[in-house]
Amino acid sequence: MASGGGAGGSNKTYSFKVVLLGEGCVGKTSLVLRYCENKFNDKHITTLQASFLTKKLNITGKRVNLAIWDTAGQERFHALGPIYYRDSNGAILVYDVTDEDSFQKVKNWVKELRKMLGNDICLCIVGNKIDLEKERHVSVEEAEGYAESVGAKHYHTSAKLNKGIEELFLDLCKRMMETAQAEERAKGNGASQSSSARRGVQIVDDEPQAATAAGGCCSSG
Amino acid sequence: MVLKLWLLLLGHDLKKPAIEMSQRTERRGIHVDQSELLCNKGCGYYGNTAWQGLCSKCWREEYQRARQKQIQEDWALAEKLQREEEAAYASIQGAQSQPQVQSQASLAPFSKFEEKKTNEKTRKVTTVKKFFSPSSRTTSKKAPPEGEEKVTGLRDWRGMFTPPWEMGYPTEDNQEGKTTSPSISRQSSIETDRVSRDFMEFLKTMQKPGREVQKHSRTFIESMANKKDLGADELSEYVQDFYQNMSERLMNHFKVSSENVERVMDEVEKYIMTRLYKSVFCPETSDDEKKDLATQKRIRALHWVDIQMLCVPVDEEIPEVSDNVVKAITDIIEMDSKRVPRDKLACITRCSKHIFSAIKITKSEPASADDFLPTLIYIVLKANPPRLQSNIQYITRFCNPSRLMTGEDGYYFTNLCCAVAFIEKLDAQSLNLDPEDFERYMSGQASPRRADTDSSWPQTDTALGPVISSPALAKVYQNLDLLSGLGTRQDRVLAAAQSLQRDLLTWEESVGQEVQEILERYPLEIRPPAPSAIDSDVENDLLPPPLMPQVFAG
Repeated sequence: MASGGGAGGSNKTYSFKVVLLGEGCVGKTSLVLRYCENKFNDKHITTLQASFLTKKLNITGKRVNLAIWDTAGQERFHALGPIYYRDSNGAILVYDVTDEDSFQKVKNWVKELRKMLGNDICLCIVGNKIDLEKERHVSVEEAEGYAESVGAKHYHTSAKLNKGIEELFLDLCKRMMETAQAEERAKGNGASQSSSARRGVQIVDDEPQAATAAGGCCSSG
Repeated sequence: MVLKLWLLLLGHDLKKPAIEMSQRTERRGIHVDQSELLCNKGCGYYGNTAWQGLCSKCWREEYQRARQKQIQEDWALAEKLQREEEAAYASIQGAQSQPQVQSQASLAPFSKFEEKKTNEKTRKVTTVKKFFSPSSRTTSKKAPPEGEEKVTGLRDWRGMFTPPWEMGYPTEDNQEGKTTSPSISRQSSIETDRVSRDFMEFLKTMQKPGREVQKHSRTFIESMANKKDLGADELSEYVQDFYQNMSERLMNHFKVSSENVERVMDEVEKYIMTRLYKSVFCPETSDDEKKDLATQKRIRALHWVDIQMLCVPVDEEIPEVSDNVVKAITDIIEMDSKRVPRDKLACITRCSKHIFSAIKITKSEPASADDFLPTLIYIVLKANPPRLQSNIQYITRFCNPSRLMTGEDGYYFTNLCCAVAFIEKLDAQSLNLDPEDFERYMSGQASPRRADTDSSWPQTDTALGPVISSPALAKVYQNLDLLSGLGTRQDRVLAAAQSLQRDLLTWEESVGQEVQEILERYPLEIRPPAPSAIDSDVENDLLPPPLMPQVFAG
């Protein structure tokens, strides 16, 4: 589904798009800056922006290009979600373990994503700020139980202490590769593979369009 | 793809086997029911979704009727828009009697725009009417020049909406906008020629695949010339199919490496889209133009939205930041002047980079999406980019898809789409305003700045800068203050210069007088020189002894 145009089957490069979703102030940006730059709240961060970052990986001999799309977390931009996560292979849903509300938001996102993109998308639910364990308001059992019930994986991270982040992304990449490979096998022939490369993930035309009716701008054919 | 099925039925040449049709349907995940394929009028032919489920014959009939209605509606809309805007501006002017000078200044050019716009509209409508009138139907071959005129109209139009700061850019398209139609075709053909030449030069380096690419591209452009009447989505489909087939062929047949394929495809896109631009940008078959107008009007109605309402994390008081903001606005406006989708994307990317710089200077940390999106919305509101919807549609339809999907450009483009969607749906809640206030601001009955600074409005003091909610307005007043300061200083300089001149004159006189006086007081007497020895009055022992001639013996 996301063959980045590599010629052969063995040395092809996967290109994955991953969206970061979550309320403002849960640490989405810190998370991704820690992963890509290995810095936290650092004055020496050289990058101009932290909203679109890329990372090249090599997983079991396969090259993977990861594009991480940050999304605006403010409530007023919630309706724009579908425009962002269209065509994405994975979603990282971040909540703050000290903030019960942000976990509720994650639940809303999960419902929406499953409705729009079905099971094509790999979901990761991430409880961030575990360095503030004392102030935890979302219980581990509840979060993990919920994640399992919706077919997502749950991770605990701390961008401040650099805990669990590397594992999160590596795991997500492996899962996305599996999904991509399964899809290739299902499709079988080469023609369809390249055709889907053209438009990315399958688009179930009627549904997303209904959802993005507001943003009529992006609804191509 | 339904169209292709229909073509097959009519015995047209179809390049792809019918089997692929079902495959493609499935791949795209579009559910098509068998009954939906037939013409809605029940004439037994296959219908097309792009034709509202009708077959070609029924559609044409329907289309003619709708077109006539549309023309009339357009007329009505144009008139209504103008009336509304006039009314809105009149009420604004009435309500904002205090900043009279300022509102007047901004009104004058606007009313001119409106006038011109209506003229354009009239011209275009009559053109379209002409096109559909029976006499010209027989010579429907005349369509291209008529279509050209439409493009011309739009271009002029674009020029009008171009804010003054963009006028300074002598872009090729801008010049076109100002010239009349015959020279436009010449101008654009110069550019087309240049692009074609570049393309040939590029392909020469590739030898055999290059010739093939050239051949295919040319036939494709020729075939597209016959498809002008198709819907925008079908045009997009054709172009995208062409991109895909071409890159597949290069990759599988000629074994070109993927990086090179990308390079070639970039050139192909540039060549094809430069040549097709006129016929596929904002095509007559789509309602892009209507959307453009609606968005334009919407953004204009939102002129009162400010940084605080959107929570934009930039501080325009910092000169470097406001510099970046202006650059971002310029870039997003410049997008309309580019022809190639990739160049348009590049404009969006440049705009985004300027926004990031502005945020980074203000907050001294890298911008996250939470910061970026509101700022982009603010920039779009400030810039009111010409033909925004058409441009977005054009990029979506004709850009090489790999670029839009995962690349950095794609991310910024997506954000722009989000910004536009947000602006379209924007309401009181999304600005944290009272619904009543929002309504009043939208209708022009009140202005948030006025409410905030009611008391302090007339005596605009720079010290009150922060009170004035719009930074641009604050800037204007600041500049006005500076100007008036300069004025008084100039007066002072002038007065001082005059007094200096007077002083000089009197000084000259007084000097003359003094000289005269002295001359009179000490009349010149020429006394005979006293015969004395040169050294007589000098003390002799201070001087070195006079050189004496010395005689050396031998």
